Amino acid sequence: MVFGPIPNREYHEGFMRKAIEMAELALSSDETPVGCVFVHDGEVIGRGINGTNASLNGTRHAEFVALAEIMAKHPPSILKDTDLYVTVEPCIMCASALRQFGIRAVYFGCLNDRFGGCGGVMTVHSDPGVDPPYPVYGGLFREEAIMLLRKFYVQENNKAPDPKPKKNRELKTEILPITTPNVATPGGGTPSLELNKPILEKAAVAAKAQITQMK
Amino acid sequence: MVHLKTKEECRLGNETIRVYTVELPSKHAEGILKVIKENIEGQDVIDLQHLRRFAKPKYLPPHWSLPVRKRTEGRPPTLYLLVCPANLISLKDVHDLLLQHPPFCSSADSWAYPLEIKEITVPMLAPTSPEQAAEWSELYWPTFYRKTNPFGAHPSSISKAESELQEPATDNIALPDMMKLAEEAGTATEKLGYGIRTGCVIVERVDDKTEIIAVAGDARLKPLPSETREDASCTSGNVMSHAVMRAVGMIGRKRLRVASSTQARDAFFLDLPLTPLEQQYFERDNLKPDGYLCLKLEIFLTHEPCMMCSMALVHSRVGRVIFEHRMSRTGGLTAEMVRNDTGPVGLGYGLCWRKELNWQFMCWEYTAAEYALREKEKEKARVLNGNDTEGPDEDHPEQNTTTATTICTSNAITGSHDDVNANLGMPSFTSIHV
Repeated sequence: MVFGPIPNREYHEGFMRKAIEMAELALSSDETPVGCVFVHDGEVIGRGINGTNASLNGTRHAEFVALAEIMAKHPPSILKDTDLYVTVEPCIMCASALRQFGIRAVYFGCLNDRFGGCGGVMTVHSDPGVDPPYPVYGGLFREEAIMLLRKFYVQENNKAPDPKPKKNRELKTEILPITTPNVATPGGGTPSLELNKPILEKAAVAAKAQITQMK
Repeated sequence: MVHLKTKEECRLGNETIRVYTVELPSKHAEGILKVIKENIEGQDVIDLQHLRRFAKPKYLPPHWSLPVRKRTEGRPPTLYLLVCPANLISLKDVHDLLLQHPPFCSSADSWAYPLEIKEITVPMLAPTSPEQAAEWSELYWPTFYRKTNPFGAHPSSISKAESELQEPATDNIALPDMMKLAEEAGTATEKLGYGIRTGCVIVERVDDKTEIIAVAGDARLKPLPSETREDASCTSGNVMSHAVMRAVGMIGRKRLRVASSTQARDAFFLDLPLTPLEQQYFERDNLKPDGYLCLKLEIFLTHEPCMMCSMALVHSRVGRVIFEHRMSRTGGLTAEMVRNDTGPVGLGYGLCWRKELNWQFMCWEYTAAEYALREKEKEKARVLNGNDTEGPDEDHPEQNTTTATTICTSNAITGSHDDVNANLGMPSFTSIHV
């Protein structure tokens, strides 16, 4: 239950507020607005914002920036008693890193439907694997997390090899209710949403496109 | 070097479907086809363009054991028609339908043989190589290869990449040397007690010329400033310092140095060189300026990367990945979940080619050719046996066998690293994230 009820919600909202503040900082520094804090014994021990543009490194997500700060001061084992608060669901890469570190729990704002690793696209946090799984709780300040991302994506990305003009894009403010996220990808299987797609039809279209390309 | 199957290829590539076929004189072929097209609904739903609609008896699989008939017997030349998928219409209905039309109707005199509809198994999806088409033609029904692959990289891109990698132009480093360099990078950090002997080499290819732009070994065990002796026993160590993460980080740092005046923020990432070997390649300003992340770069690895590193490669937009050892319990790139051609069965994520992610890249396993060949022979034997015995399992020949035999062989070939029979969580090298 990624979006199940969160016990003691107000306590967790306090830390998610700090994560949102980090995301706002990211937005003002031209980075994808994702922010996070790691909390150990009620104390923030690491904070991070997405840094992919500044570092020219596509793996420099907020979680990694914060983890690097933590590693400088604490042994990796501290993460076993540490919770993560992040505005957007951790991606597949971060979800795996967190699991290998043995994070205690992850709280997030909105789902990441492009490459989420905790229910959005895959369920790396709970799939069968050699490391123990960890619980995830989504939906804390979800609307704010989404609006931050939308504000960013109406901007143009001049660093991309082929920047898309986005002059005509408008900032939408309507937030749709949560759709049921994928619950599990046992053994790395394809999430349920893909199973419903007419695969053959899709395959035929792809094949035709390839033939056309060759001509 | 064997190209990895994608998730969809694994899931769908071996699927079969039951269809009806019928033998008929050539001169009635078009007429009967018209009858079928007009009277059997739903034929457009399943794309069987990869199968011949009409097949001459001599092109049918040898195991059909068709009687050799001579023209002198006065029998007109015949063709076999693939009527339609068997799930569209019952055998009785298709029988009744054909009986109403020449040459099968009673009034026709040109055909002296009874109407005999045969239900057979054919591959449901298009083959992804000419070899596969030839194989399927021999096993099931004459099959076309149309030079497309809806489930992965285009076959021509794969063969172009393979020839560039395996037959390097003059001055370019050969593939075995690249793999050796990756190993040396891992050995170098391991010797210092920093890592677990896994390594990564990143190469840029510009106008057919290759340049090694980053070399990194694993550094998860490098003592952290914070660590006391007792903490150092943490097995996963500093997860962020896997070889792939370090090499990708080096590329970012190098780009900053080469392409702009911006200083890299020195957060605590272990992506600065730690060994003379790493330093040697890091200090050269040999990458194309204004590049983007690791767009289309080539990655050479000692081991199949873990989920974190696999996704890091997706985020970094890499072009080609070649790894040596499959990591069946932690690897993120292989897609097979039931059985596979090149090594032990893994977790099945297949991150190198997932349609739901925003980037795909080609990926090869370096040491698997012999295994692949052996598996192919087995598959062939399996299907042939399956077709001889009429049974409910005939549709899925590959499911008849358990994975047990597959696993034994794979152990012999991939060597000491892979103890696939062990359970998840056993403390062996395969349970380490690389």
